[in-house]
Amino acid sequence: MKELIIVTYSYRELIWALALKELKIRYKRSVLGFLWALLNPALMMLVMTVVFATILRFGIPHYAIFLLSVLLPWTFFAQSLSYAVESIVGNGDLIKKVSVPKMVFPVAAVVSNAINLFLSLIPLSLLVLLLRHPFYSTWLYLPVPILALVIFTLGMTFLFATANVYYRDVAHIVQVLLSAWFYFTPIIYALDFIPPQMRWLFKLNPIVYVLNGFRLAVYYGMLPRWQSIAASFACAFVTLIVGFAVFRRYQDEFVFYV
Amino acid sequence: MCNSQPIQFPFPIRMKHVTQRFRIIHERSDTLRALFTNLLRQPARYHDFNAVNDLSLEVPRGQMLGVIGANGSGKSTLLKIIAGIYKPTSGKTEIHGTLAPLIELGAGFHSELTGRENILLNGLLMGYSREEMLEREQPIIDFAEIGEFIDVPLKQYSSGMHTRLAFAVATEVNPDILIVDEVLAVGDIAFQKKCFERIDKFRRAGKTILFVSHAMPHIVEHCDRAILLDKGSIVADGDPREVTALYCSVMTPELATKQ
Repeated sequence: MKELIIVTYSYRELIWALALKELKIRYKRSVLGFLWALLNPALMMLVMTVVFATILRFGIPHYAIFLLSVLLPWTFFAQSLSYAVESIVGNGDLIKKVSVPKMVFPVAAVVSNAINLFLSLIPLSLLVLLLRHPFYSTWLYLPVPILALVIFTLGMTFLFATANVYYRDVAHIVQVLLSAWFYFTPIIYALDFIPPQMRWLFKLNPIVYVLNGFRLAVYYGMLPRWQSIAASFACAFVTLIVGFAVFRRYQDEFVFYV
Repeated sequence: MCNSQPIQFPFPIRMKHVTQRFRIIHERSDTLRALFTNLLRQPARYHDFNAVNDLSLEVPRGQMLGVIGANGSGKSTLLKIIAGIYKPTSGKTEIHGTLAPLIELGAGFHSELTGRENILLNGLLMGYSREEMLEREQPIIDFAEIGEFIDVPLKQYSSGMHTRLAFAVATEVNPDILIVDEVLAVGDIAFQKKCFERIDKFRRAGKTILFVSHAMPHIVEHCDRAILLDKGSIVADGDPREVTALYCSVMTPELATKQ
């Protein structure tokens, strides 16, 4: 863990440059370029609002905000993981030719998606204003779940990026895993929709607690209970410690397998 | 990345009984399917071979060492160990001083990024700071003779421009130990000359240089010492003229006997 912090700090400029490179290349060939980082969630919001306000009525007021308050952090998680799972293999050429701490690659993938997450909060706040949903002061609490989510995502990223070096199937498995995980997580629905006798199952899902914090703060204007905050950080740190330990154990061998 | 130290070590590169073993797996389980089918059938067959075999080497400060040998003799593996890319299976490697930890010029260059962006990224990859790289940006552009192309994506560069930029970045950052691996094959004669001038400047400044080449005249002309690798071991070590002559006679015995 100490190693992770030291390396991240001393290579912060490289990580930042790699993250920006990632974004630059993602938006390079498009006419609107970087604007897509804002437009993408904005257009998605438009679709959601139309679909759920006119066609499917769940009886949840301002459903778009209800949904997006969790969908945006989920998208950050899902995209980070799908990018980062390939981050070691994808940078194989580099790893074979330059001596650089391997962990900068997954970290940079997470950082680039975190930039996207921050940008997507801009259209979300515009939507809140547009729908005249109250702009709660609990928005100020958002850095806390963001931190927990980033830690959790980093842990998952280290784990899957390592596995993918040895078995390239992992990148495909991650895609399936993510879509299954999406439906088993209260994102398009609320945990209240689940029959009480089933709820314990959903509480085993480590990402539920942190996502719940986003929805409470943005949609309900409430803060999570301390047990829920503690659970979100416990899940995050356990994942990071396990993920990084695995990564660290194998990182010197990566160069022989990429 | 090693930092420069106040004490000057007489031997910036010191390797003792270094072995790098590779496991060649004949049916490697690259996918889970292969893993399962192999598990059912038989354990994976493999053989180990030592790309670098019990190799000891000391390079004194200020020496330009030529490394020669046939393809597959372990030259690249040796350089990768020195650059810190491989952790050897056994033995001890000590590197004192800064070293451009890249084995191939332009590793880390990205074709979608401009020359300027690549200079920065390449420098950061080698462990230099943003500030240092911005300071060196102009001299790098000048040396590489890139001109206005510096703000054009790298994919539009000719291979010569690509190499010139790569050589300029790797040498402008001023490492204590310089690794030059077969790079001069690409540039034209004028740029080759410029590269050797820069390499000579490095020598005069007391830097240690590892020079890998298949061009024997370059080894003879520029190196203080040469080693010949075969099957991962040093089989000859000494005066470049003698070592290259030995290498030529081993590689093309029929030519040598005729002469």
